[in-house]
Amino acid sequence: MTVTRSILFILLPSSFILLMGCGPTAAERRAHRAVDDYHVGDYGRAVHTLRPIAEKTDENFVLNNARLGSAALADYDLDTAENAFLNAYEVINSTGTNSGGRGAAAAIISERMKVWKGEPFEKAMVNFYLGLVYYVRHDYDNARAAFENSLFKLREYGEERGDRDDEYRRVESDFVIGYVMLARCYQRLGDADNARKYFARAAELRPRLRGLTDFGQHDRSNVLLVVDFGQGPRRVTHPYDGAFVGFGPRPEEVGSIPLPRIAVDGQTIGSAGPRGDFFVAPPVDLLALAQEKRWQDIDTIRAVKDVVGTGMIAGGAYMAHRAAYHSRGSDQRRDATYAAALIAAGALLKASSQADVRTWEMLPRTTFLIPLKLPPGRHDVTVDFPSEPGLAQTWRGIVAPDAGDATYYLRIQPATAGEHTWPPRKPSPAPAPAPAVGATDPR
Amino acid sequence: MILLLTGCQENTAVSHGRSTALDAQNLVEVTDDMTAKLLADPEVRSAMATRGRLKVVIKPVENRMTGEVLPNGARHAFINRLRTNLQERAADHFAWVVNRDTWHAVRAAELDPGPDPDRVQPEFALTARFSSITDESSRRRSAYYLCAYSLTDLSSGQTLWTAAYDIKKSAVKGFLD
Repeated sequence: MTVTRSILFILLPSSFILLMGCGPTAAERRAHRAVDDYHVGDYGRAVHTLRPIAEKTDENFVLNNARLGSAALADYDLDTAENAFLNAYEVINSTGTNSGGRGAAAAIISERMKVWKGEPFEKAMVNFYLGLVYYVRHDYDNARAAFENSLFKLREYGEERGDRDDEYRRVESDFVIGYVMLARCYQRLGDADNARKYFARAAELRPRLRGLTDFGQHDRSNVLLVVDFGQGPRRVTHPYDGAFVGFGPRPEEVGSIPLPRIAVDGQTIGSAGPRGDFFVAPPVDLLALAQEKRWQDIDTIRAVKDVVGTGMIAGGAYMAHRAAYHSRGSDQRRDATYAAALIAAGALLKASSQADVRTWEMLPRTTFLIPLKLPPGRHDVTVDFPSEPGLAQTWRGIVAPDAGDATYYLRIQPATAGEHTWPPRKPSPAPAPAPAVGATDPR
Repeated sequence: MILLLTGCQENTAVSHGRSTALDAQNLVEVTDDMTAKLLADPEVRSAMATRGRLKVVIKPVENRMTGEVLPNGARHAFINRLRTNLQERAADHFAWVVNRDTWHAVRAAELDPGPDPDRVQPEFALTARFSSITDESSRRRSAYYLCAYSLTDLSSGQTLWTAAYDIKKSAVKGFLD
């Protein structure tokens, strides 16, 4: 009985602690409500809810700042978006974030205790959006640096495979938006050589997107539309044991991405729509990129815990069967004790092998980059998807500058279809005069 | 297990990370080094002797770094601390002229509309350009920084003084990075 008591003394508190950790915390519930607000287009409310949560430097610090950045960017709250993405950027770029016991706790107790830093495609998108915020503000130096960094983050995919160059090249080709924006930054900084180099690299990686990588088209443009469309990938677990399966849905499960059609003041722009020669394919598909899931050491630990836990439960069931039908007296009590201990320990191990399913839910499936050359002044711009009715957005009062460029970020969602007036909120002043080259702020 | 759980409360997302980004220690090292070099430079000393107080305007750091964002605060800090150092150590030799854009912005915010008085015209510009060679793989991130500062004569375009400070940083990725 001493053995039984000892086992129970260890197992019961452990089970209690593990069970306590299963439910979402109050902050997590608030964050999920903010995500819901985002998806119904109430970006201001999402920002308001996420702002205090994102200040907490807990294991969800990066995730909540990424969420806050997404909501603030859609709300045109550029100060908040910059700070949020910068917070996420700094932790993502740091190493050893999970040292000091947090890594051990994540491996032994629950993976959710690790500081979430995202998969490489999520890290790349944090950098892409940070670069986009700087680009909108005409801070092309910092935008360039952030877009370069977005490409660094994708290297983690290719390097872990046997044939590095081919793998990296394949992943890179799914993220040409990084190259195109990098090239535009160099263009705006007056470095035509580097601009041509990166447009050429994008064209080489995705020859079908040659129209999007045209130096002259971007050079002439005075308006850039950055259009986020669709829902990004989610972490998927096995319905029975909670083991990590991967990211879903797969691109083939949800069909191809519809192409946008752009109308300015009621006139369709021929070069920037599915019927023109500019867009023949979406420049990125995060659902496809997410299928490159990187296998980490903690995945191995979790898989081992799951297998060992299953084995212990099976062993416990066998001991229980023996106690019930084949043992007598003290042997029966011993077998029953071992059976209970094995089943409880196995259940504990399996409970601690649950996958971490925290996801940056605001990510789109794709991001369209649409450079336009418009007469200086205010315009009504409509973005619609002929093959997906009910998603059209019309923005009234879009400003086309007579020098430099103005960038507009639009988030396409069913709940936000219809007419809007630019800007979506009263903008705050820029923090400092931008060192722009003939640039004009859209505000 | 309880120790692990309670330990996580103190191990925040920002308490253990190590990155290759320029930090506060670099700010102090770079600007102290530049202060000493600028004040010891014979050409600068000669200009001080012949032209009296040098009227200098400062510009925020130009970020030419690869894959390294330099936020607005840091861009100003890396030049403003140098100015503060120079002001503390050689106040008689420098007259600091506010940046033109900032001057107009402050006037517009604080003064009633009216004709702008003539602003003191700066003679020199104190500028900085940071460059880096940055590389990142699944195992490590490394960065070599070159922080170059210049004092340029605005009338002639001649560089009166220039100096650089180089920094090498590396961060090895570990478990869960």
